[in-house]
Amino acid sequence: MSAVAVLTPVVIAAWPAISAAVVSAAAHLGFTVLDEAHHALNQGHARETGPRIVEMEVPQSEVVTGTLGRDQQIRLTRDGFTAVFARDPRGRATFCVSGEGHTEEELRAIGEELGGRMVQQYVLQKLKTELSGRGMNLVEETVDENQAIRLTVRHWQN
Amino acid sequence: MKLREYEITISPSGEVEIHLDGFKGKGCLEALKLFEEIVGQTKELRHTSGFYEPDEEVVLHGQQHH
Repeated sequence: MSAVAVLTPVVIAAWPAISAAVVSAAAHLGFTVLDEAHHALNQGHARETGPRIVEMEVPQSEVVTGTLGRDQQIRLTRDGFTAVFARDPRGRATFCVSGEGHTEEELRAIGEELGGRMVQQYVLQKLKTELSGRGMNLVEETVDENQAIRLTVRHWQN
Repeated sequence: MKLREYEITISPSGEVEIHLDGFKGKGCLEALKLFEEIVGQTKELRHTSGFYEPDEEVVLHGQQHH
């Protein structure tokens, strides 16, 4: 062994990859996907679900898009919470969490968990795709008791 | 040919920890560059004992030793 590195992920992707990561995170956390559509069709949905709403953003994120996916959003729900992921005008991946009768701290905690899992799933898919493309073999994938995903990757090098 | 092995842990918050195995010397830094391209910037780097061993000799195809 030579080194241990800790990396801070950067999320730069087109909407389909962002959306896939959101859906995967939602499934892991027991959320149901309500719909995926354009802002224009669903504006104001989040605010209709309750008086309190917390707006958050995925750190170091950029939703790369031309015209496709520019105004898209995805809406999730679980136990009275609703979360809406979208792309803000500056291109960042943002989301808001709302829920009737919940405190701001509760909403923020749900949002941090959901946002973190979205990044986790995005990184997982990106690593699998990129490493496979470079001829590396994923020999093991496990999830530990803390919900961390562990991968073992091997390859032969000249 | 050398076998390289990477142990990767993706935390629930998305942070990535990578154990770079099978290297001697600073060869692991080249591997780290690859992961930085895929994931993002290095926040923390801890060298283990193997890092301080002599760098591996990289023999290019067609290169001759005298």
